[in-house]
Amino acid sequence: MRRLSQPRLHVGALLVAVAVLGVVLGASTAWPRSGGSNGRLVYMTVEDFKINAPASIRPGRLRLQLHNLGPDSHELLIAPLRAARLPLRRDGLTVDEDALEPLHPVEIEAVEEGDTEETDVDLRRGRYVLFCNMAGHYLGGMHRTLVVR
Amino acid sequence: MTLRRGVRFRPLETRGRRAVAAILATFALVSVVSIVLSIKATGRSKHQAAVVQVAARQRTLAERYVGEVLLARSGQRADPATTARLLAESAKVLLDGGDVPGVNGDDDEARLPATSAKTARLQLLQEQRLVRDLTAVGSAYLAGRPVSGIRLTADEWIETPDPVQRLRILAALTSNVSLDAARTIADRADRNVGELVTIQVGLGIGGFVASFLLALALIAATRRQTAHFRSLVTSSTDLVLVFGDEGCRYVSESVGEVAGCPPAEMLGRGFERFVAPDDLPSVRAAIEHGAPAQVLLRVLNKFGEWRNLEAHVTDLRGDRQVRGVVLNARDVTERVRLEDELTRQAFHDGLTGLANRALFRDRLDHALQQSGRQLVSLAVLLVDLDGFKQVNDSLGHDCGDQLLEVVAARFMTVTRPGDTLARLGGDEFALLLEGANELTATAVARRLIATMASPIEIAGRSLRVGASVGIVTHTGAGGDSDALIRDADLAMYAAKEAGRGRYEVFHHEMARELGELLGLEHELHLGLERGEFEVYYQPLVDLETRGLVGAEALVRWRSPTRDLVPAERFIAVAEATGLIVELGEFVLADACRHTAEWGRAGALPDGFVTWVNISGRQVSAGGLEQLVRQELTRSGLAPARLGLEVTETAVVLEGTGGDRARTELKNLHAFGVRIAIDDFGTGFSSLGHLRRFPVDVLKVDRSFIQGVEHDAKDVAITANLASLAHALGLVAIAEGIESPGQLRTVRELGCDHAQGFLLAHPMPAHELRRLLRGSVAEPGAAAASA
Repeated sequence: MRRLSQPRLHVGALLVAVAVLGVVLGASTAWPRSGGSNGRLVYMTVEDFKINAPASIRPGRLRLQLHNLGPDSHELLIAPLRAARLPLRRDGLTVDEDALEPLHPVEIEAVEEGDTEETDVDLRRGRYVLFCNMAGHYLGGMHRTLVVR
Repeated sequence: MTLRRGVRFRPLETRGRRAVAAILATFALVSVVSIVLSIKATGRSKHQAAVVQVAARQRTLAERYVGEVLLARSGQRADPATTARLLAESAKVLLDGGDVPGVNGDDDEARLPATSAKTARLQLLQEQRLVRDLTAVGSAYLAGRPVSGIRLTADEWIETPDPVQRLRILAALTSNVSLDAARTIADRADRNVGELVTIQVGLGIGGFVASFLLALALIAATRRQTAHFRSLVTSSTDLVLVFGDEGCRYVSESVGEVAGCPPAEMLGRGFERFVAPDDLPSVRAAIEHGAPAQVLLRVLNKFGEWRNLEAHVTDLRGDRQVRGVVLNARDVTERVRLEDELTRQAFHDGLTGLANRALFRDRLDHALQQSGRQLVSLAVLLVDLDGFKQVNDSLGHDCGDQLLEVVAARFMTVTRPGDTLARLGGDEFALLLEGANELTATAVARRLIATMASPIEIAGRSLRVGASVGIVTHTGAGGDSDALIRDADLAMYAAKEAGRGRYEVFHHEMARELGELLGLEHELHLGLERGEFEVYYQPLVDLETRGLVGAEALVRWRSPTRDLVPAERFIAVAEATGLIVELGEFVLADACRHTAEWGRAGALPDGFVTWVNISGRQVSAGGLEQLVRQELTRSGLAPARLGLEVTETAVVLEGTGGDRARTELKNLHAFGVRIAIDDFGTGFSSLGHLRRFPVDVLKVDRSFIQGVEHDAKDVAITANLASLAHALGLVAIAEGIESPGQLRTVRELGCDHAQGFLLAHPMPAHELRRLLRGSVAEPGAAAASA
């Protein structure tokens, strides 16, 4: 994972502008779309307390780009959907990520408000759950299903 | 064209001070900005720490609230409402600022500023919403109301209907957002510190760079100034020498130029070798003691020239930069030379190089003091040239000046080295003989006169001038230079009176005569004012026809105190004082008036002319033509009845005055007025002038006539003058006929007319009128027929 926080404001604003332009231009046909040599670019946003992402994408190598609209910090984890509910830790407030083994989730950690981070994933066909595992966020409604087909 | 202004010279001190001031100002500015920023950053960090603390406390309060709700629900003692209030108030204070509400066991009181950062404000607003949702669910749960129906405001969507679970989720969300807000605020504080550090580093670097640049500028300015002063010193014509214990340590290039050798030769003790021995003590004193402040010295350069230097001495032995005595010298040779020349000119006659009157007076005063102390005698000889005026008038001042130079040189040959020969002015010389008695003085006077014996060749002419010498001697105390010069002057006049070309020793009787002379001048003035002058007429006789052909108008002075004063006694005074012009006008007017009266009376024979003497001064003064025409008009006299007698010198006068005089005389001659040359043969007449000048008559001087009976030379001269007159178509008149022999001779020598006591004495106008009318016997008839 590569952080793009420095310089935070200028580069972030530029990327947001580029991403928004990309969304506007390619929302109907190209999202998720190809992004450079590492795979198609899939753009997502998080905010209190929901995840904005396409409902389905095609399988293959992807570059996930996540932008936090805030105001809280969030993270994004992608795990194969096995049940209606993800298992929780003993605190009852966070998903037990260890219980998701051996299919370890892909995650983008602690994205602060206004930041954009990205990661490369190779998703195969299937159903996945996108969620934020900060305390109470999953239970507060920050999860979404993603279909790869 | 616009002229560029020159770069203003700035002394080193000013430029250096400015650079140092700029460095200090830069440091001060950087320091002030740094301190201000630090104070502001510290204050901001302090507030932000308090905010972080309160924000972090919200997490604890949220968890505490959940616990208290559960306790209260289970009937145990708890106060969730207070915690709920603390949560809500703290959230508001964090957002909008204000006093932080106290928590039990926490005595810290703080007042927070409103949060301004956008992200932090959004997070705190979210926190407010979550606190509201949390406390709403908690309140419902405590009240036994269903919590699933409570509308949540922070965009959270909680599926579980379990109120406790909902409370825990909301507390976790609240806790999260509180931590996020605290982290955001802390990050901002970190950024502030980072920015402060960056600014401080920037200020430090900027200050260092600015100071470094200013220091470089200062060094460059100092170097420029140093080069500037070095250039000034090396290129200055002033001489700069620095002396230390080891002798001369530094010399500027200009010293070498003056000394005519490489400056290095001046170093050490080398400089002293060039200084005049007389000046060496004062120079050494200046070098060793730094005083006196100014020294005059002479140096002998390699070209053998003595150069005068004026040196200002500056003692800089206490100056660490110099550690020596500085001589700043100027070459004042030309100035000294000029001063010497001015001094010489002030005390010497520019023409002859002899001492002038001031120096003569000074020497005489000094000699008189010596005489008073040592009882030694001294003599003053005053010499006046005889005939110099005629030379000056006839040949011009240039010739006169040359004559004076020759005379001065001749006089120098008879003086001793200790004597003072001076030219007092004009043709007047003075000689001071210290230690000389009357015998010595008269011997020197004879030698002076003898030097004039041989003619002087000037401009191709052989000129003869004589010298009249007045002598006064003095011995002992009480001498007065003015009195001595005056007495010598008196003696000199006595010598002139006695016949010129001789000397006279002063005696006190001369003083009385001098007083008489001065009185004469005064009385002349009065006489003119009172009408004491009258015109006499001396007849002129034709040697062939014996008839009256004219008369010469002669002025007579009938003084109430002196009776009838002879002309030869007062004419010289009138000439000297300028009264001769006024006197001449009087005679002219009277002669015209009388002659006109005689004419109107029918007494004038044909060709009768009344001759009036016109002085040289009157001729050269200008205005003669107008005066004569005016008198002729006023009297009604025909121009042909008037004759003007002018001297040879007046006719041959050079310069513009001479030209004007000749022009006026020519105009008058053309008008009908007759012109005669008086005293012909005694001056320096140029025959060329005579040929071109409209002259009617030559009057042979009486000095020749007096010798015609016994001196062959006078006979020859008179015969030649008469012959010359006839050759030029002129009439020759013999003056001063006093004996029948003279009368006979001049007639035989060819003179046409004659006048003199033998023929007739000068007579008043009325007597001449009677004579003209034939009422008395024709004058000199018997003599003329002899």
